[in-house]
Amino acid sequence: MKKGAFITILAAVLALVLWSVGPAAAAEPIKLGAVLPLGDITGDQASKAMKLAVKEINQAGGLLGRPVELIVVDDEMKPEKGAAALEKLATVDKADVFIGGMASGVHMGQIPILKKYQKVTVWIGAASSKCEEALEGADWYFHLHPWDYQQGASYLEGWTAINQKYPQIKMDKWFMAYEEGAFGTASFKGQQALFKDYVTEGESFKSAAVGGGDYRPLLRHAKEAKPDVFIWVGYGADALPIMEQAKEIGFAPPIFLGSPPGWPPDFGKSPLAEGVYAYGMWAPSIKEVSPVSKHFWDAYLKEFNEEPVTYFCALGYINVMFLAEGIKKAGTLDAAALVKALEQTEYVSPVGETLKIAPSKVIKHQGFTKQKILQWQKGAQQVIWPFEFATAEPMYPFPAWDKR
Amino acid sequence: MRGAEKKRSGDLMTVQWLNKRRLALAALYLGLAVILAWWRPYVLVEGVQRSCLYAMIALPMALILGVLGIINLAHGEFMMLGAYLAYWFNVRAGLDPLLAALPLLLVFFILGLATYVSTIKHVLAAEELIQLLLTFGLGLVISQMVNLIWTSQPRKVQLDYVSASAAVGGFSFGTFEFIYVGAAVLVLIGLLLFMKYTRTGQAATAVGQNPRGAALVGIDVDRTYLMVFSISVALVGAMGALFMTRHSIFPAVGGSFTLKSFCLVAMAGMGNLSGILWCSLILGLAENLVLSIRGYSGWADIIFFALIGLVIIIRSRQRQST
Amino acid sequence: MNKAVKSLILLAVLVLLAALPFYAGAYPLSLANTIMIFMVLALSWDMLLRSGQLSFGIAGFFGVGGYAAVLSQVFGGINPLLTILLAALTAGLMALILGLVVLQLRGLYFAIVTLALAEIFRVIVTNIPDLTGGHEGTILKSAIFAGHTYKTYWLVLAIAVGGIVASEVFQRSRLYFALTSIRNDELVAKSSGINVFKYLVIAFSITAAIQGLVGGAYAQIYGFVSPEGSFSVNFTLLPLAMAVFGGMSRTWGPVVGAVLLGLASEILKLYIPYGHLIVYGVIIVAAILFLPEGVVGLISKHVLRRS
Repeated sequence: MKKGAFITILAAVLALVLWSVGPAAAAEPIKLGAVLPLGDITGDQASKAMKLAVKEINQAGGLLGRPVELIVVDDEMKPEKGAAALEKLATVDKADVFIGGMASGVHMGQIPILKKYQKVTVWIGAASSKCEEALEGADWYFHLHPWDYQQGASYLEGWTAINQKYPQIKMDKWFMAYEEGAFGTASFKGQQALFKDYVTEGESFKSAAVGGGDYRPLLRHAKEAKPDVFIWVGYGADALPIMEQAKEIGFAPPIFLGSPPGWPPDFGKSPLAEGVYAYGMWAPSIKEVSPVSKHFWDAYLKEFNEEPVTYFCALGYINVMFLAEGIKKAGTLDAAALVKALEQTEYVSPVGETLKIAPSKVIKHQGFTKQKILQWQKGAQQVIWPFEFATAEPMYPFPAWDKR
Repeated sequence: MRGAEKKRSGDLMTVQWLNKRRLALAALYLGLAVILAWWRPYVLVEGVQRSCLYAMIALPMALILGVLGIINLAHGEFMMLGAYLAYWFNVRAGLDPLLAALPLLLVFFILGLATYVSTIKHVLAAEELIQLLLTFGLGLVISQMVNLIWTSQPRKVQLDYVSASAAVGGFSFGTFEFIYVGAAVLVLIGLLLFMKYTRTGQAATAVGQNPRGAALVGIDVDRTYLMVFSISVALVGAMGALFMTRHSIFPAVGGSFTLKSFCLVAMAGMGNLSGILWCSLILGLAENLVLSIRGYSGWADIIFFALIGLVIIIRSRQRQST
Repeated sequence: MNKAVKSLILLAVLVLLAALPFYAGAYPLSLANTIMIFMVLALSWDMLLRSGQLSFGIAGFFGVGGYAAVLSQVFGGINPLLTILLAALTAGLMALILGLVVLQLRGLYFAIVTLALAEIFRVIVTNIPDLTGGHEGTILKSAIFAGHTYKTYWLVLAIAVGGIVASEVFQRSRLYFALTSIRNDELVAKSSGINVFKYLVIAFSITAAIQGLVGGAYAQIYGFVSPEGSFSVNFTLLPLAMAVFGGMSRTWGPVVGAVLLGLASEILKLYIPYGHLIVYGVIIVAAILFLPEGVVGLISKHVLRRS
């Protein structure tokens, strides 16, 4: 009896060892480890766009003669989950490169983990410069999303240009409602620093994306302040509730501006959306002026039977495509060579601009540096600025609640 | 908790004292209301609305904890489950959440029966700690089941009528949340009538004060616990439907309500149902007052807990000195 | 089994565990770290339970420890290992002060107040952003030992061993006997001259210090603290489930519970990304209904045939 048991155990152990060594993989896939907030519209569409990009790459023969595999892990908009996701991708899935990202707050928790593994990382999220400071010296890190101070500078440029072209649009007094996390606080600080010639007041709120969603005290304070521009910085989950509650307390500033990284898919359909300004890197109308954008739009619509509604969707596609260009250029996955290749890669992107790498304040590898100013008109997002991509004239002032 | 030890001490003298106290409190509340209406009317309006939200959720807990001494740490989770079911009915069948509250009463009554028979019943005689742990585990099962099915992404339904508003002079406020006021008052009156005029209700009072004595006079103690527990679960589940019309829901949303309900029950005193309404008023108004001060909105959460902590400690001192 | 054999076995296990980094990869090591961290939390919770007080406040002191460690390094430049000790001290002191007030309460009231503690700490930390970084939290320039897997593991192993030793020492101490008699009947204990209050405060402070220690270590290992993450209710929930499942009121209960549940949770996490914690809930309920003595109790009774 004992002998039989011993032999069985030995056989099992042997089998386990052989299995773990693994069959000599003929074409072991290149693994892209992505972390995204799958519960938010931004993460959902970004991950789909990544899948689309990977599919297109594999259909064209893969990279370096190997297929590309995408592994996406949800960060649930929580820093500790984001950090755990990276750990899992590094240790269990053995990812070669890290991609993805959206929220700044989540990224803060991920940075110590990124530093631990030091894999080549191409990140499409995080605007907070607090993240940038923490990444000093991380030369394996590429950041595609504009930093808060870069965004702020582009907003200042944009509104100044709009004010010059349309003098009736006033913007001397700003009231900013910002979500209390890293994203919101950084945006507020950026606004205060850059818009020095204007008056900016602000107040924080808890985003509905993390369980909050009562904006009434805040909106009342905003109403009392009588601003020329009311801007809210939060997430997609806040978009409709803020409009509902603003209507409820009768708050209709001349400019109502929302700055979530993604809007809910049916936001345009609500009568409350008319006239709302938005910040974003992309709007559907860009496909009229950019063939790459048109290809992206058509392919995404065909593959998933839904329209892209957030610029993170385009960023997800860009994330994979840009990385793929770099890998092709480097001819290897070796970190040092890959970094060098990515530094020199230029990619004509679906948001209109060509993606190039240049240093920003602290890090060496920064991609996009500007946002655009958009406005919801008749259910669709139109580009107001930069004027070279503009598809409509600005609607001013914000239509009253009872006239919709 | 053993019933005999919970009995309010010095009943006769307490009754007289309470009357005077009640008059003084009523005057205080009225005075506060007038001041707020003139100075910050929205604090009054939204404070009252928020208070009644807390009260309507806390009342079912007051029923089982205050009257019968059953601890249910899964209280908030039942509410959350009710909210999710209402969400599901709305998304799948277009059923309005307010209407969904009615069938949910039945659904949760049955759920309460099942929960009691399979779990609560067996630990009633055990240490308090065990009841706490068991219902804590129950709450975890419920919230994780919801997490499994609907994920942790917050969800909200879009209903046009929830942003209904009225205007008095230049002051515009939301009117939908007065439904919470209605619900709280309805539940309170319903429970008071239940306790006074139905057999089960009267039995509940008896069992709460002295379970052994109640059994001796022929009351089916087990059945009383069963009925009252199921009513509590039914109520709090239905309240979930009302809750989700105005709030985004996610699996962990119930937890803070368990805590707040417990605190309200402790504050009002065991067995005191109408006290819940008054205590909720204090807390809802205090919270909204803090929220209305610019820059201090983050502290609103803590005011609640600190106040409650204070009250509990004072009460436990009272209890120890008798 | 006599004492000598038992000690030898324990020593062998310890050596094997200490040598783990040499034959296991990064993933098993990080899994072991997680298990050990929760194990010590479960032990500390159980230690307070033995005095009859159910605390839901583990996450509170865990988070306080985490913040103490990170902030003392960021603002005071203190050596990472020392910050962990500082974390323990801070949590213990805080528990001492709070305990003087809160331990007037018993049973349900005490439990609920401890539940509120974590919330209160979280709100306070969130509202002093200049010090704590507010909602976004604070990160360390680098994790302890620059994230070196071996050293991190050995640190956690040391803490785990320390926790087990503490629990065993506690089991044999005068403090324990006093607390057990309190649990059995407070009135009788009081009348035989035991200062109930004093012993409860001491137990509360010591267990909080342990939780703070673990919190500090955890913060150093992940290099990051934030209100949501450091005070997460998971740090109360999981240790509790582990102790209940493994067997309450004994050292090896939480240890066994942590290993079993920790492994189960990891496997489940890979297949059920959301809601895998449901198993913990089911286990708590099932354990209380069917397995009141826990796994270890079951083994003791039936397998080892102890009286």
